[in-house]
Amino acid sequence: MLSILSEGFILGLSTGFYCLTSCLPALVPYLLSEGDKVWKTNFDIFLEFLSGRFIAYFLFAVVSTLIGKAYKPYLPHWVAPLAMLLTAIAMLAFLFTSRGGHPGKGCAMQFSPFYKRIPLALGFMTGINVCPPFIAAFVRLVELSDMTAGMFYFTGFFTATSILILPAIAPTPFMNDRLKNIGRMTLAIAGVWYLLLGIKGLAAAL
Amino acid sequence: MKIHVKSYLTDRENFLPAVAFCVAVFGPVAFFSRRITGVGLNAFYPAAWSAFTALAAFFIFYTRRVSFYRRIFFSGLALSFLVHFKLSLLSKIFDSSCFKDTPFCHIAIASSFFNYMYQQYLALMSGDWRLWGPLSLAFAWLFFTLVIGRAWCSWACFYGGIDDGLSSLPKKALVKTGALAGKFRDFPAALLIFLLLISLAYMLPVYCLWLCPLKMTSAFLDPGDALIRKVQLGLMLFALVILLAGPLLTKKRTFCSFLCPFGAWQAFWGRLNPFRVVVDEGKCNACWECFDSCPMFAIRAGHDGKPEVSAYCNLCGECLAACPSGGLRYSVFGMKVGDVKTGFGRLLNPESFLVFSALVTGGTFGALFAPAALKDIFDILLRIATSY
Ligand code: SF4
Ligand code: SF4
Repeated sequence: MLSILSEGFILGLSTGFYCLTSCLPALVPYLLSEGDKVWKTNFDIFLEFLSGRFIAYFLFAVVSTLIGKAYKPYLPHWVAPLAMLLTAIAMLAFLFTSRGGHPGKGCAMQFSPFYKRIPLALGFMTGINVCPPFIAAFVRLVELSDMTAGMFYFTGFFTATSILILPAIAPTPFMNDRLKNIGRMTLAIAGVWYLLLGIKGLAAAL
Repeated sequence: MKIHVKSYLTDRENFLPAVAFCVAVFGPVAFFSRRITGVGLNAFYPAAWSAFTALAAFFIFYTRRVSFYRRIFFSGLALSFLVHFKLSLLSKIFDSSCFKDTPFCHIAIASSFFNYMYQQYLALMSGDWRLWGPLSLAFAWLFFTLVIGRAWCSWACFYGGIDDGLSSLPKKALVKTGALAGKFRDFPAALLIFLLLISLAYMLPVYCLWLCPLKMTSAFLDPGDALIRKVQLGLMLFALVILLAGPLLTKKRTFCSFLCPFGAWQAFWGRLNPFRVVVDEGKCNACWECFDSCPMFAIRAGHDGKPEVSAYCNLCGECLAACPSGGLRYSVFGMKVGDVKTGFGRLLNPESFLVFSALVTGGTFGALFAPAALKDIFDILLRIATSY
């Protein structure tokens, strides 16, 4: 089992660069705008993001196995753009209601669990846009056709790719109001970008 | 009016040092310009461009009006880029001497920097030395950053030249921009972070394809998707308005201050460069003329209620000219060194070092397109003359 774990880990390490490219545009702006000087806060956001990603990956495995498309992770074409659109809306809604995180002003943020789950949604969205390394891992997972071995393999893969995303929290201890403001503007740009791509993807899929 | 040639030739206070400075700038610019243009272009064109740069050096030194003559040089550089780039896009008659491919300018290089790093990583892994080109570009950028840093944006960048030239045209600002500056001055930094990440995600120069106002021709638009094409065009048009109308309405460099990701990039890395503009506490009487004059919104209130120059300063020299009490000066790492007022000693002032470095860099960079633009203009004139 250890060899299966390390096999997944090595695949993750060698191909995880692609994970960076799809995950960082969503994670970094959020971390910059909502992160803190305190490592723990940033790490919580990071973990929540990874959980979202993990859920998306896990769903893929289950859904694809259930519907028998064993060699190709399967989802209807409109799911990924819809997820993108929803996340974009969540990002923008978050921005407009949180008002820079000043206490008392962002009421919606303090009451609604929805706003506390933004990193989860971002992670889920980036997870749903399957990247080449994930497909490679998935094919191997199906080959193994053993639930326990698959879990080990997948854990190794997931851990390695997560390590590659870890540097995203590096700048957060230097956070100050100015950097947070820059992060919020970046989040707004990324939100609009995803909104556009989501609409475009949906229009093409429907 | 009689010109006293003899008195000029013996003027060791101003004229002769200015000539020496002019020659010092002409030498390297002429050398590099000839190397860059190669034998494909008549030697007259790079020589003319070098002479133009050297004349700017002469007048800056002789009159001490840094920003005024800098602007003439800078706008000339930008105009020559526009002439050559646009003409080579519009017509095959003007065979482009430098844009064989999509031009990849410094703005795109900064915003696609992670892509370069990735390419270098691939080159490292494959051991293929031919793939090391991007690294050479990175070295070129590092070299320029060490030599002139943020001054690139006021002495060499063709976008900056357009923005700067236009901002100097109106007598008064029609639109006040104070509030805007407070809120959005850091927007280019946000745009830079986004572009760095998204360019990496798509492995594309996203700035070039979506925002560059100089690329408003169908050649660069997405051929496959009408919606994306419209958005690209809309964004490019928006950037063009910020570049052209913004400075005319506000008398500020709106594109450089609110949109250009390279400005943010250089503000960060420019700290490596030794040149600074500093406020002389003893001379400043807090009249805030400098604040109004700065086209880059780079002057803000310091803790003592006196102005403070931020990292966004790109050493244009406007505030130096605006200050009634001579309260601002160029310096090296903010150090106070003796400021020689006349004679050959002036050549060793921080200001002379900065102007020399900036003009040699700007002149050399301009050699990529300015001599070719001169040829384009000459060809057009020849065509007009022969058609009559
Ligand atoms: S213009 Fe000169 S004197 Fe006036 S505030 Fe600026 S540095 Fe001080
Ligand atoms: S602070 Fe002075 S030198 Fe710097 S950009 Fe503003 S006007 Fe130019």
